[in-house]
Amino acid sequence: MTEFLQFLVPGILIGGVYALLASGLGLIFGVMRVVNFAQADFMMLAMYLSWALFAGGIGMDPFVAMPGIFAVFLLLGMAIHWLFIRFVIGRHENHDAQVILTLGLGLIFQNLILIRYSSEPRVVAPSYANTGDFIGDIFISRARLYAFLLSLLVAALLFLFLNRTGTGRAIRAASENWEAATYMGINIDRTNRIAFGVGVALTAVGGAALVTFQSITPFVGLRFVVVMFAAVVLGGLGSVSGAFVGGVLIGIIQSVSQVWTSAAVKNVWVFALFLLILYVRPNGLFGKVQRAI
Amino acid sequence: MTRRLLPFVVLVAAVALLNGWLYQRFHVRVLTLAVVWALAGVAWNLMAKAGQISLGHSAFVGIGAYGFTVLLREGGTSPWTGMVIGMGAAAVVAFVIGLPTFRLKGFYFTLATISFPLILELLVSHYGEPELTVPFHPENQWKFMEFSNAHTYVWVGLGMLIVALLISELIDVTSFGFALRAIRDNEVLARAVGIRTVAWKSAAFMISAALSAAMAVLWVKAVLRVTVAEEVFGITVVIVMLSVAFVGGVGLTWGPVVGAAFLIPLAMFLDDSIGEAVPGAQELVYAAALVLVALLIPRGILPAAGRGCRWLATRLSPTPGLPVRQLLQRVVAPPPRPSPLLSVPRRPRRPVVLAQAGEAPVLEVENVAKSFGANRVLSDVSFTVDAGTRVGIIGPNGAGKTTLFNIMTAHLRADAGRIRFKSIPIDRIRAPRRYELGISRTFQVPQGFGGMSPLDNVVVAAIGASVRHPVDASMAMLERVGLTSKALGQLSALTVAEIKSLELARAMVSDPELLLLDEPLAGLNEAERDRFFQIVDDLVAPHTAIVVIEHSVRSLVRYAESVVALDEGRIIAHGSPDDVVSDPRVIEAYLGSKWMERARDQ
Repeated sequence: MTEFLQFLVPGILIGGVYALLASGLGLIFGVMRVVNFAQADFMMLAMYLSWALFAGGIGMDPFVAMPGIFAVFLLLGMAIHWLFIRFVIGRHENHDAQVILTLGLGLIFQNLILIRYSSEPRVVAPSYANTGDFIGDIFISRARLYAFLLSLLVAALLFLFLNRTGTGRAIRAASENWEAATYMGINIDRTNRIAFGVGVALTAVGGAALVTFQSITPFVGLRFVVVMFAAVVLGGLGSVSGAFVGGVLIGIIQSVSQVWTSAAVKNVWVFALFLLILYVRPNGLFGKVQRAI
Repeated sequence: MTRRLLPFVVLVAAVALLNGWLYQRFHVRVLTLAVVWALAGVAWNLMAKAGQISLGHSAFVGIGAYGFTVLLREGGTSPWTGMVIGMGAAAVVAFVIGLPTFRLKGFYFTLATISFPLILELLVSHYGEPELTVPFHPENQWKFMEFSNAHTYVWVGLGMLIVALLISELIDVTSFGFALRAIRDNEVLARAVGIRTVAWKSAAFMISAALSAAMAVLWVKAVLRVTVAEEVFGITVVIVMLSVAFVGGVGLTWGPVVGAAFLIPLAMFLDDSIGEAVPGAQELVYAAALVLVALLIPRGILPAAGRGCRWLATRLSPTPGLPVRQLLQRVVAPPPRPSPLLSVPRRPRRPVVLAQAGEAPVLEVENVAKSFGANRVLSDVSFTVDAGTRVGIIGPNGAGKTTLFNIMTAHLRADAGRIRFKSIPIDRIRAPRRYELGISRTFQVPQGFGGMSPLDNVVVAAIGASVRHPVDASMAMLERVGLTSKALGQLSALTVAEIKSLELARAMVSDPELLLLDEPLAGLNEAERDRFFQIVDDLVAPHTAIVVIEHSVRSLVRYAESVVALDEGRIIAHGSPDDVVSDPRVIEAYLGSKWMERARDQ
C-alpha cells in the first residue's frame, strides 16, 4: 500500500502539470478545431527560456519568471496564429494542411534550438530542486509540489478568464459553435488569435513548471506530445476542464505503472491507455457514446 | 496508355543516367537515398489515397529493419528472405492495428497512429536491443545484399520503386482505387453505396506497411549499416515520408517520386555543406517544405503544376483547342479521367430469394426505438412496406423521420426493435451489406464524392453493388435522368435539381428493391417537383418499394399509396393519404395544440 502511495502522490503532482500542458492544447482544439502538433515544442521553447533566464546570469527562478513567460508566449502564440495558423483554419473538409503545418512548425522550433544550443541536456537546479519532505513514508518533492500548486492557481485563473471576461466568453462561444458566434458579432479571427495565444501560453507555463525536475533537450517535446494528446482525448477533445482531469489521470497512471513495470516503459502504459480511450470512448471519459453499426 | 507509361520511362532513364554519370561516393549515396525515400513515400501515399494521414508508418519501417537484422544475425538468413518475412509481419501488424483504428474518423485516426511506433520503440529499446549492427557477409554479394559496387543498390532500389509504383497504378485503375477515393471524399456515403470501407482501408494499410518494411531493408543495407531503434522507429522517418508525399502530391502515385527528387538532394547537399556548423539543416529542409506546402499548395507540386500549365496554356494559346496545348496538357496535366479502366466483375452477392409482389412485405419495421442521450427520438415504431408500393412519411421537424431512415440503412443502431428486409433480419447487418441486399437511399442534405465527376459518383455505387459493367450501367442511368452532358464535368457545377437527379441515379444504379428518398423535393421549384416523381417512376422496376420522407404534403398525397405520420418519435396515423392528412392528431402535430383548441372554441 505504501509503495502504491509512493507512486500515486508524485503521479498526482506531475499530473497537475500535465493538466496544465494539456489544457492549452484542449483550448486550441476546442476553439478552432486545430490539432496542434507543435504544442509540445512551444513547451520546449518555454523550457529553454526558463533555463536561459535562470542560467544566463540573471539567476531568475522559473516560478518568478512565469508571468513574463506567459506574456512572451501569449504574444508568440498570437504571432504564430497570425503568420501561419489562420490560413489553415476553416478547411473543415481537410485536416491535412493543419497536420503538416503544425508538424513542420514544431520541427523548425526543434532544429533552430538544436542549432543554437546543441543537443546537450540542460538543467535548472534552484536550491529547492532536490529537496523534499516526508509525510509519513511518502516523499514529496518540493519542485513537484510547487509545480502542482502553480497548476491549480493557473487553472483557477483560466476558469475566471473563460467565465468572467468578455474575451473568455467569446472564446467559449466560439468553441461551442463558431458560426453562431459570428452571427452574435464575435470577431472570430481575433478570438482565434487570442485563444491560440492563451493556449500556447498555458502550455508554456506548464513547461516552465517542469524545468526544475525535467532536463531540457531540443527534442524533449516528443516525450510529451502523446502524453498531452492522451490527456486531451481522455477528457474529451475540446473540453478544457476535461483536459485538466485527463492530465491528472495520465500522471497517476504513468507513475503508478512503475509499481509493476520499469520506469523506462511507463509511457507505454500512457500510449496504450490513449489508444484504448480512442477506441472505446473517442469522445472522452465524460463524452457521449455514439455508435453506428 | 502512353500517358501512364511515359513517367516510368522518364524515371528509369533519369536514374540510369545519374547512376552511370555519378561516381563520387557521396553523390551515389544521395541518389540511393532519393530512391529509398521515393519508395517510402509511395508506400505511405497508398493510405493517403483514402484520405488517411498516418503518422505511424515508422512502426512498419522499424519492424522491417529489426526483422531482417535479427534474422541475419541469429540464423544467417538472407536479407531477401528477411525482407519477405518482415513485409509479412508488417502487414499482419497493420491488419491488427488497423481493425480498431479504422473505426476512427479523420484526425482521430492520425492521432491514434502516432502511438504505435512510440510503443514499439520503447519496448524494443527496453526489452530488446536498442542498437544492432548488421553482420558483414562479403562472401555472397547477391544473397546477402552486400554489394561492393554502390551503384548496384541504386539498381535494386529502382527495381523496388518500380514495383511499388506499379502496385500504386494498379490500385488507381481498379475498383480498389475507386473505393479508396470514395472513402477519402465521403466515408458515410461510401458505406451507403456498398463500399466496405474497413476492408478496403485494411488492404491499403497492409500493402503500404509491407512496402515500408521492404524499404527499411534497403535503407539499412545500403545506407545505415546499423539498425538503431530510435532511428528506424523514429518520428523523422514519418516526417520524411510525409514531406516527399505532400511536396510531390498527396495520394498521387507519382507525387513522392517528384517530392523525393526535389527534397532529398536539397537536404543532403545542405547537410554536406553546412551540416558541421548547423546540425539540424536536413530536418529544417523537410520542416520548411511541410510548412510551405501547407500554406501555398496543400495538394502538392503535381496538381499545382497541372493547374499552372493549364493556365499558361490558356494564356499562350491564341486559338483554343490548339494541338500544342492539348499535347502540353496531356503530358503534364492529364485532364480528369473520363472513366475507370476496369473493374473486376464479381459474382452477384444478392441472395437468390427474390421478393415477389403478394408475398411477405419487403420491409418490416417492428417496435423500433432510439434515444440520443435523454432525448427519445423514436419509440415503438412499427410498419410494413409491400413490394412495389409507395409509402410516404410525414411529420414535423424533429419527428424522427431521418433517424428512422438512418436506422434502416444502418447509419445508426436502434436501441430496441427489429427490422426485416425480404424476411431477413437485418438488425446486425452493416451499411455496405444492406446496400448490396437491395436498400438504396438519398440524403436530406445531398451527398456526393466531391473529388469525382458525376459519372464516377454513380460508378462507385455501381461497383458497390457489383454491377457487371459499372461504367456502362452508370452512363445509362445518367442518360435516363438527363445528365449525360454533365457526366464528366465537375460535381460542383451541378444545380440543385441536377444534384437531386444525380442522387437518384446513384441510388438506382444498383436496381434496389427498397428505395428510401429523404426530402427529395426540398429546394426544387414547382416544375421540377412534378418532374421528379415522373423520373422516379420511370426508373424503378415494378417490384421496387419506395419510402419517401417529404414535407410537401400536397405532392406526397398525390404520389404515395399510404402515408405514415410521425410526431415526437411515435406513429400517430397510418393509412391512406386522405385519411392521414384529415386526421385531427396529424393536424395538431403540424399546427400545434393551441391552434386546435382555438379551432374548437370558435
